[in-house]
Amino acid sequence: MSHTLPEKNFTLYGETFSSRFLLGTALYTSPQIMRDAITQSRCEIVTLGLRRQNPADRAGDAIWQFIQESGCRLLPNTAGCKSVKEAVTLAEMSREIFNTDWIKLEVIGDDYNLQPDPFGLVEASDILIKKGFKVLPYCTDDLILCKRLVDVGCEVLMPWGAPIGTGQGLLNRYSLRTLRERLANMPMIIDAGLGAPSQAAEAMEMGFDGILLNTAVAKAHNPPLMAEAFADAIDAGRKAYKAGLMQKRQTASPSTPTIGQPFWHQ
Amino acid sequence: MIQPLLTNSNIPHHIAIAGAGLLGRLLAWQLLNAGCKVTLFEAGSFTANSQKDLRGAAFTAAGMIAPLSEAVVSDEGVYRMGQFALQQWPQWLAKLNQPEPLFFQHGSLVIAHSQDISELEQFERELQFVIPQCKTWKRINQQQIQELEPDLNPHFTQGLFLAEEGHVHNRELLTALGKEIITLGAVVREHAPVEVSNYKINSEYTEENFDLVIDCRGLGAKTQHPQLRGVRGETLHVQTQEIHLKRPVRLMHPRYQLYIVPKPNHCFIIGATQIESEDTSPISLQSTLELSSALYTLSPAFAEARIIEMDTNLRPAFMDNLPRVNIQAGLITANGLFRHGYLLAPAIVENILAHILQTGEKNFNDLLRHHNNILR
Repeated sequence: MSHTLPEKNFTLYGETFSSRFLLGTALYTSPQIMRDAITQSRCEIVTLGLRRQNPADRAGDAIWQFIQESGCRLLPNTAGCKSVKEAVTLAEMSREIFNTDWIKLEVIGDDYNLQPDPFGLVEASDILIKKGFKVLPYCTDDLILCKRLVDVGCEVLMPWGAPIGTGQGLLNRYSLRTLRERLANMPMIIDAGLGAPSQAAEAMEMGFDGILLNTAVAKAHNPPLMAEAFADAIDAGRKAYKAGLMQKRQTASPSTPTIGQPFWHQ
Repeated sequence: MIQPLLTNSNIPHHIAIAGAGLLGRLLAWQLLNAGCKVTLFEAGSFTANSQKDLRGAAFTAAGMIAPLSEAVVSDEGVYRMGQFALQQWPQWLAKLNQPEPLFFQHGSLVIAHSQDISELEQFERELQFVIPQCKTWKRINQQQIQELEPDLNPHFTQGLFLAEEGHVHNRELLTALGKEIITLGAVVREHAPVEVSNYKINSEYTEENFDLVIDCRGLGAKTQHPQLRGVRGETLHVQTQEIHLKRPVRLMHPRYQLYIVPKPNHCFIIGATQIESEDTSPISLQSTLELSSALYTLSPAFAEARIIEMDTNLRPAFMDNLPRVNIQAGLITANGLFRHGYLLAPAIVENILAHILQTGEKNFNDLLRHHNNILR
């Protein structure tokens, strides 16, 4: 039995991946460090934003090509878009530039904490799916919002752990657990808010299917090493989920009899 | 410092420099002082000062000499080269004999709004990681911030004071260097885009031979460096008599890190955005909002400042954002100074001069030539 290679069984929109880690490409101190982090993360999908790069003039070509050379599948995002119209326009431009109908959809409702606008998100998902896009929506952990996104045709959901860039971890475990139970067959990726590998492992132990993050790796002192730490944690969390965690108990119970104590006292 | 050495026949006599930005001017000046004959080629105007002119990143830069702040986003080598810059600039400027001082070492301030204190802590943690031996910075409180810069908004409760850092009035410096080069007898060819090769400069109509060619064209050399890219930066220049700042102030924010640098005639530069794009179109509305709101929060008195210039340019950078010097027979290339032009230029000039004038100094070789893919 193999104990190192993860199985290739993570399916998104009909495509199968072995890595359950998706990495963002912003905020690194240099493109080279970003590429090194991608390599160490073992990820197969990277996201990139192009809102401010004047994409209509292809002015970001140099960096896009450099990201593309990582060999990962590119998942363009609509980071920085605050309205449905902006997000749809940018998604269409991304499809043209990167020749992919996958889009990580962000419609931002609040400029300071970058919280998703749930209403705009459902509307934009609906429009884009009708235009043939495969939408991966960045959403909050609200069950009803997630159900609406499924209703309009999203085949994967990306609820947040906490607001983007905060590193707070899984802020609302109750909502996330509810989501996991109620939408049991829907692939779900925890997107944003994670700061430490242990938090990623916890999300995977809860049965989430993947992790997407950026700041926690980019803002580490050594991003490639942190990328590797997250990759290991995500693998560990996935294995733990599949292995089945033991149930927590109220009292300690030694796994071997305590020497010198009669068994009826144990 | 540098003696005329032309009695030594191994030293190239006639040197061509492509690119009259900061590196090109400094090298021309130093080589002329050493007794070499210099021809300087510039694709734009040699006296460029208006935004419409094609001009190097050094004109758009704010001229901070900030080894600590830049080490935080690069590495310890940048800090070492930056410390050399802090020694070298005052010596050079003393030789330029300017009526007004152009170099200042009053330190710099790093501040954040109370809700963004974690950004300040991240900066502090990174300083401790990258340059653990450095003891020239300290955490300061509201009162200390006010003592250093009384015109700043008093609501800033915590900051860092980086005592080593300095700044230079860069446009005045570039102009002064330009005049000095002419006085010393350089041949300047402006509006002359060229291609360079070993011992040769090719312009549209002619090919000229030299004893040595130095290529410091920045992004102008993109065709010869496939890994070179431009990183867009946008700045605002404002003018007001209501506010006085003695030193650069850096504002940390989750989404952007901006700085304001005092300039002559009650002017300030606020910059700079850093966008992975080779777009040279005018500044975006989003960027003006970010820059001007940062300025306004530093002090509400900036509300009545006048915006006198909005500038956009591209920083030449390799994919690791670190500089490179490549030395071959008859051709030296120096490029990729990214956002560290005034910080790194002295070390790069020192390194190149040591090679040309055979002074035996091998300072910074390890930092500038450790990139295998450019070594021959």
